[in-house]
Amino acid sequence: MDFLLDVSLYASTLRMVTPILLAALGGAICARVGLFNVGLEGLVLIGAFSGIVGNHFTGNVFAAVLFAVLCSLLFSVLFGFMSIHLKANVIVVGIALNFLALGLTTFSLRAIFDVKGAYYNKDMIGLPKWDIPLLKDIPWLGEVLSGHSPLVYLSIILVIVLQLFLFKTVTGFRLLAAGENPTAAKSLGIKVTRIQYGAVLLCGALCGLAGAQLSLGNVTMFTEGMTSGRGFIALVATMLGQSNPIGVAASSLLFGFMDALSIRLQGFALPTHFTMMLPYIVTILAMLFFKDKGYMQEARKSNESSR
Amino acid sequence: MDKLVQFGRSLLQPLLAVIIGLAAGAIAIVIVGGSVMDTYAEMWKGAFGSFYFFTNTLSRATPIILIGLGVALAFRAGFFNMGSEGQMVLGALSAAVTAIYLPGPGWFKLVAAIIAGIISGGIWSAFAGWLDARFRMNLLITTLLLNYIATLFAGYIVSYPLKDRTGSAAMAQTVMLDQSVWLPKLFKGMSLHGGFIIAVVGAILLFLFMRYTVKGYEIRMLGGNPLFASYGGVQRGKMMLISMFVSGGFAGLAGSVEVLGTQYRYLDGALTSPGYAWSGIMATLLAGSHPLGTAVAAILLAALQTGGMGMERNTDVPLEVSSIIQAVLILFVSAKFTYSFIKRRKARS
Repeated sequence: MDFLLDVSLYASTLRMVTPILLAALGGAICARVGLFNVGLEGLVLIGAFSGIVGNHFTGNVFAAVLFAVLCSLLFSVLFGFMSIHLKANVIVVGIALNFLALGLTTFSLRAIFDVKGAYYNKDMIGLPKWDIPLLKDIPWLGEVLSGHSPLVYLSIILVIVLQLFLFKTVTGFRLLAAGENPTAAKSLGIKVTRIQYGAVLLCGALCGLAGAQLSLGNVTMFTEGMTSGRGFIALVATMLGQSNPIGVAASSLLFGFMDALSIRLQGFALPTHFTMMLPYIVTILAMLFFKDKGYMQEARKSNESSR
Repeated sequence: MDKLVQFGRSLLQPLLAVIIGLAAGAIAIVIVGGSVMDTYAEMWKGAFGSFYFFTNTLSRATPIILIGLGVALAFRAGFFNMGSEGQMVLGALSAAVTAIYLPGPGWFKLVAAIIAGIISGGIWSAFAGWLDARFRMNLLITTLLLNYIATLFAGYIVSYPLKDRTGSAAMAQTVMLDQSVWLPKLFKGMSLHGGFIIAVVGAILLFLFMRYTVKGYEIRMLGGNPLFASYGGVQRGKMMLISMFVSGGFAGLAGSVEVLGTQYRYLDGALTSPGYAWSGIMATLLAGSHPLGTAVAAILLAALQTGGMGMERNTDVPLEVSSIIQAVLILFVSAKFTYSFIKRRKARS
């Protein structure tokens, strides 16, 4: 087992988990205000593509990340407008958003770069790898935790910040109230619609970061539909973590680990089909332990969604 | 007269969405520097330009109709069945395996293959329903995840144990089916096959079932008002399993007619890469879960897709314009929920 579970496996877990974690945090914020965002996949895909576009045109990685966030924000406004303002079924809007993202990115890939399938340019520089001083000298831990892209560290910080924000600040409580019981919140003078828009925008920004990590951090290229279900995994992580930032982080880590493990296992005699199945099977098994929570039911009732 | 107005009103919304979708497509065409009128003309020609292209469109619509019907049934019962892709793939695989290995005359194998496809698609779908009824796992998520497991499993089966090693091709696929098991073509030299008839009959049967039978009423009631349904004695768990089984059965049927009528073998990725499952879901959303409407919407979406291919052959505009049109269409049709919501609110005040 030693050669299977070595240091680089944990390091790559951390890298794999970041896009899922960032998107899942966004999903958690949305779920907290009663909007179940199925469009995570599409938002991340938009982020991944616009990150590459930004990098291509500005040549600056950080401008590219900013551009990715901006584009995902734009799309989340669309999601918010349809579901909050027009009161369309959030799940339908989410599904449509996924389609739109897939179609638009493939189309733009042809229109902007004139390539089909994937865009890769060897001159393109991805996100830098940061070595953390002091930490990098600690054996094992240093190898696992040091040398990642800034977005990896940002995602860890965001977990703590969001946890404190949701459960220790007044705005956070207002946000929870808006999702828990919109009518009561409204009667207390909380601007529910504004809070919902805020949550959707925050979700869009986080998904943009997730996409940027996917296309500029993990690799430096874009392929059609490169999210390949990560948005849906993030959705599951949101539910599994019961929309608590810490819980979401824990469940995302589980999937990141499974993802990394499945890639590692491909080096062995196992057929890739089964190793690729692993994250999905583990997800279903993990859902056995997830029991319905009140606020999810509220969210469901108010949107006449899945059941 | 009132009925006519109501009918017109129900058509207005999808029509508006189609117009907005076409407008969005026009913007995309202008961006890549094409001529809107020429491109749309090529699109029309690619979908309906000749009898050959028209039958092509109908044959592409066949699996979309069947999947759409399955999803429509689940929607009507109040469940989001996102797992059509996996159900279709498993149905196709079992149909292919049955047609290859079952002894007997051709027609017997054909019928058995179709039934095997329906059953395996249905079981895969009912499994998700069972997980929901028994463990309260969210159906939306489980059906999505089961897609990946089913496609990977089918991919494994045709890459290793059942791989066709006779030909020189390195494709992951089963051996070719015997010609006696093939679904007959409707016209000589055209791709349209008997599956289209099955799909149309299925749409009509589902329409009659939903409208005129007690079970159909119970399903509609469950979707419309679960509390009222349980008050009226509808057993939610049992109804859920049944409607999920039938819903998945339609998807499995879609997979089997594709195998028996078009591919004549299970070819890995041949069902998933054209995105039949998602098109089926889109058709259902477009038609508001009405069975006959779903069939029409499926033909419309298939026309957009085959038209897009024709357009790509004859102009410089990329094929993806049609997927943008489709997505925008759905986005604005979902505003239909809004429309009814506003009406409801007005009625209340």
